Amino acid sequence: MGPFLPFTLKIDPTKTRLWKELKLGSPLIACRYDPTGKYLFATAQDSSIQRVNVLDASTTKLSGHQGWVRSMAFSKKDHLLVSADYHGVINLWNWQQPTPKPSNTIEAHDGWIRALAISSDGQTLASCGNDLKVKVWSLPDGRLLKTLEGHDYHVYNLAFHTKEDRLVSADLKGKIIDWNWHQASIIRELDAKVLHKYDKGFMADIGGVRCIAFNNAGTLLACGGITNVSNAFAGVGNPQVVLFDWSTGKIKQQLVPAVAFQGTAWGVAFHPDGFIVGAGGGNGGQIWYWKPDQPNSFHTVSHGVSFRDMTLHPQGAQLGVACSDGVLRQYSLLALVSKIKA
Amino acid sequence: MFLVYFHLAFGLASLPEAQKLAEPVYPRIDTLIIKSMPKEQLTAVTASADSEIIRRLYLDLLGTIPSAQEARTFLNEKSTNKRNQLIDQLLARPEHARHMSHVVDVMLMDRRPDQRVPTAEWQAYLYTAFAENRPWDQLIREILSADGSDPKTRPAAKFLLDRDGEVNQITRDVSRLFFGRNLQCAQCHDHPLVNDYKQEHYYGLAAFFNRTSLFPNGEDKKAVLAEKAEGEVSFQDVFDKAKKVKTTKPRLISLTAINEPAFDKGKEYKVPPKKGEKPQPVFSRRAQLAPILTSKDNHAFARATVNRFWAMLMGRGLIHPLDLDNSENPPSHPAILDLLTKEFIAHHYNLRWLLREITMSQAYQRSSEVPVQLKEIDPTKWVVAPLKPLSPEQMAFAMMQATGLTDAERTALGTKCTEATLYAKLSPQVSPFVSTFGTRPGEPEGHSFLATLEQSLFLKNGSVLRDWLSIRNANLMDRLTRMKDEAQITDDLFLSILTRLPSQEERTEVIKMLQAAPAAQRHTTLSELTWSLLTSVEFRFNH
Amino acid sequence: MQPCSYQCGTKEHLHSRRTFLMGTAAGALGFAGMTTMASAQSLKSSQKRVLVINLAGGASQLETWDPKPGTDTGGPFRAIKTSVPGIHICELLAYTAKKMHRLALVRGLNTAEDDHGKGDYIMHTGRRKEPAFDYPHLGSVASKLLSPSESSLPGYLHITPSGGSSFGKQDAAFLGPRFASVTLANGQPPPNLFAPKNLSPDAEQQREQLRSQLNQRFQRSRRSAQTEAYTASFDQAEQFMKQAHIFDTGKEDPRLADRYGKHDFGRHCLMARRLLEHGATFVKVTHSNYDTHHENFDFHIEQLGEFDRSFATLIDDLVDRGLWSSTLVIVMSEFGRTPRINHLYGRDHWSKAWSVALGGCGIQAGAVTGKTNANGTAVTDREVHGGHLFHTYYRALGINPAKNLHTPDERPIPLADPKASAIKELLA
Repeated sequence: MGPFLPFTLKIDPTKTRLWKELKLGSPLIACRYDPTGKYLFATAQDSSIQRVNVLDASTTKLSGHQGWVRSMAFSKKDHLLVSADYHGVINLWNWQQPTPKPSNTIEAHDGWIRALAISSDGQTLASCGNDLKVKVWSLPDGRLLKTLEGHDYHVYNLAFHTKEDRLVSADLKGKIIDWNWHQASIIRELDAKVLHKYDKGFMADIGGVRCIAFNNAGTLLACGGITNVSNAFAGVGNPQVVLFDWSTGKIKQQLVPAVAFQGTAWGVAFHPDGFIVGAGGGNGGQIWYWKPDQPNSFHTVSHGVSFRDMTLHPQGAQLGVACSDGVLRQYSLLALVSKIKA
Repeated sequence: MFLVYFHLAFGLASLPEAQKLAEPVYPRIDTLIIKSMPKEQLTAVTASADSEIIRRLYLDLLGTIPSAQEARTFLNEKSTNKRNQLIDQLLARPEHARHMSHVVDVMLMDRRPDQRVPTAEWQAYLYTAFAENRPWDQLIREILSADGSDPKTRPAAKFLLDRDGEVNQITRDVSRLFFGRNLQCAQCHDHPLVNDYKQEHYYGLAAFFNRTSLFPNGEDKKAVLAEKAEGEVSFQDVFDKAKKVKTTKPRLISLTAINEPAFDKGKEYKVPPKKGEKPQPVFSRRAQLAPILTSKDNHAFARATVNRFWAMLMGRGLIHPLDLDNSENPPSHPAILDLLTKEFIAHHYNLRWLLREITMSQAYQRSSEVPVQLKEIDPTKWVVAPLKPLSPEQMAFAMMQATGLTDAERTALGTKCTEATLYAKLSPQVSPFVSTFGTRPGEPEGHSFLATLEQSLFLKNGSVLRDWLSIRNANLMDRLTRMKDEAQITDDLFLSILTRLPSQEERTEVIKMLQAAPAAQRHTTLSELTWSLLTSVEFRFNH
Repeated sequence: MQPCSYQCGTKEHLHSRRTFLMGTAAGALGFAGMTTMASAQSLKSSQKRVLVINLAGGASQLETWDPKPGTDTGGPFRAIKTSVPGIHICELLAYTAKKMHRLALVRGLNTAEDDHGKGDYIMHTGRRKEPAFDYPHLGSVASKLLSPSESSLPGYLHITPSGGSSFGKQDAAFLGPRFASVTLANGQPPPNLFAPKNLSPDAEQQREQLRSQLNQRFQRSRRSAQTEAYTASFDQAEQFMKQAHIFDTGKEDPRLADRYGKHDFGRHCLMARRLLEHGATFVKVTHSNYDTHHENFDFHIEQLGEFDRSFATLIDDLVDRGLWSSTLVIVMSEFGRTPRINHLYGRDHWSKAWSVALGGCGIQAGAVTGKTNANGTAVTDREVHGGHLFHTYYRALGINPAKNLHTPDERPIPLADPKASAIKELLA
């Protein structure tokens, strides 16, 4: 972007456009950029993890999991990628190696691991799953530090607070526990039960906290999923992101798409510029941009294919979505802006 | 008694035609029945008591039992012609039309759940027809001709619309109801047991309907019948090794195929098939059926009708089962069936005439008690009157009359009381009886009798009957608890419920029970007594 | 993987189950309505029964009896070993896997009907739906052919997860309502089972006595099969009312009851056992719901988590009580689910290649018949349809499937579709 050009590039979510598409094969489940933003990792229904170089789209397969990988977490220290699968296994990798191999494998949970999180100092890993347990591990050695018990239903997600030494975990019923994990004690509970329903017709539970994020300042917590479910087995309901005021633990805003959509919010992130990005899938996929103080998305991007996860590039200029058709899609938020004042 | 029948058997001479039409037929029925009866049984024949016949006539013609007052009046009546007078009175009452609307609804619709025409509208249509004694051929013509597009005649289209306009359902039921022949088995091959029923009969009938469908579609509750101008039935015998595929034009079982006009290509339709529009062929196959079916030439139609209504009154058909008319299953009394068929046509399909003739016969009016000297009763000889289980509707209305709910509602209505207003009050009470005592929806209601656990628990422990046994102004419990004299109570109780006075033995027993119970418990005792009478075999059957 | 236990002990599920009362199992002993224990014993040994577990909505064969892990259609679950070497089933059936030596699997089922109602009809009647004719349910036929004449329980009992208890009519078709199902909604007894509250036993006796006297008098000269049937139906009601205690699962030892799981389906399986041991002929327990077009895997964890433990316990209890070898057990759905996983992580309707599990009376334990291809999209060996299943059921029960039933108009209807035959390798 030399000073001689009459244009500059600026992040403008309302100008979001489909930037790159890469067919990876099997339907995708999850995706994450590494903290440097060089690679985009995606997991698929064939139990693989694929590393995609964002610049040249070259891909490398990471083999090691036997089950679907639902979650990945990163630490800049030692280029650590941690991945977890539906068979209860956690693998640790060096993501930069030419062909990464698991450096450590932990039989971590009984049944599905649904989420992982690494603390901002890179020292601690947390995992959770269908055995109702939240486990805290030391990094990089993978030693179990604590087992946290307090959920009565499958634990769907977790996140470390960005500033304080606190951990939150969230379950199928929308119960969110704020942990003092060192003492394995519950500090308080937050309530996102709007993201759950027991469907009496089908006699089954539907919902859960499908995505979770803190903002950088640590003042807001976002939890997304599905609400207003009228038919659990057809997935008829609407996506929603519940935004909590971290200090009070109260719901500050319930973020919904401005454009009618049926499905689940599978990904949420706080953009450095202060807005919130969400994405989800159902009948097609959508990306939503919200301001924290307005319930309706101020901009919505739609696609014909269902989105199952979303990751925001560390620089905030791109986002990636894992799609049900096996295609990894990247959207660009950059727009050309004229330097010449009109 | 024997002498009377002897006289009847020889009392008829040939009369001129017009006079013949006015001449009652029932003496000839009796002659023919007596003729078929073995001698030792002839001597055992006993006429019904007045209390027996009034209950039977009320149930058969009005679908309920008489009130205690009506029963008392009839029992005290001295006229020798009082039975025939009662029959004429009952046939003229609006309750008769109401009863027939129930009977014919069940006969034609088999208690199917409503699809496109609400039962209330259909029954109202039938009620009007029976109230004016519309000839049966005309009624059936209307029912088979209506396509549901005209709101005025839409109720008549229930028969076809609620069978989804579906060719096989319609073919089976048209053959069963209007020909007395269930051709269903002949759908896949010639009937394996009945030589007369051929696959071509089934498809000849089916060909009247094979071009018919619902428009705009089956899901639409307001759908009407539409028809195409093309399409033939084709069939092959599943047992035919050569797999020969056959076809037929529309034809009635006993008649030749109809002439179907040929059309030039593009000229077959008044309204050609187009998306969103109901097609209308120039020549409608379906429209051909009703007139030919109900024509005087088609004796099978009148014959099946006579047999069905004979069965309604006499407990079984002259041909039995009702829809198995064929040469290997001859009528018990071919001459009676022929006579009634011929006369029914001559009397312009007058159903009231038919019911009148049968009910006036001595055969109908026999006692249902089996004489001690008879060991075996042949049901085809009508030596004794049959026990006919009450239909769910008869049971509901009879129980409402017996417990005095009918009287209570009549009193509450006061001057506004008509058959229609009273019916509106009582009819909602019928549905638990239909769901409990009725046959499976869609199953033809034969004369097979089912006593189920569900029914006995309903009667023993259910709230419906129990509610009717509480005291309400002008109902039975109200009336009886006001009476002091135990003998009077007992008589009223029996007359109200069983349409007869108690035997001496019964009177003594009941008086004893009443006297044994403390005065404060009189209502409880009376309600349990009533329950016992209501749930007795005697009440359950029309005898 | 151990089945996830999140269903258990939670408020929601505690709310929906009836309190398990403290007390002994004494009430469950003894057959009221039977004269002696000896007659009960003889009933046990000679009577054959049927238990159907109906996984309504269409359970996935891939998440139950025919897992395909590691393929494009396999989904996230593992296959686990069972008590029969060589047979693997889905890890969601961990308890059932230990009972595999009592079960047999049909893995080559192709019912070719993806509509719920029509599929259900095939699985209940062994026939495809015909426009103007209805076939009776297996339960109605069993009720007619297997119920002892002295039985005081209705022959075909159906425990549903919800709705209202009622007497059925439709499912017996031409056999008539006597053989139709009696629905025990959420395990509740059928309507009108209990005497009116304000009717004292003395009054009840008096009114019954008078009814009986009136009947005797009337029947002196007017006795018929119909009048007999009518009076007998009151006796049957009386006998059945004496059996009302069967419907009170609170009579069970809570520790024994809890083995079934503290949820509705567990309680319903317990009631099924109580009904079977008290002489019921055919009991169907419906578990709802498996119609997982969306989140197939999450929902199968939840539903099969309930099914697996309850079913395994039910097998144990039937074996312990000596009922297993005389009870034909069928675990079925209206169809299976698509091998292809859709964009909502769901599976859709699929009848071309799916499975049922059988066990108990007349079944070759540990047998497997039929095979599907690597990713489960087609049957590659021993393809069968509903007709074959029904031949197998009847053979297993010692009934000739070619035997005719008769409609009221005397039309003969073969018990099982004459075009099919029994799966002989499944018969003991």
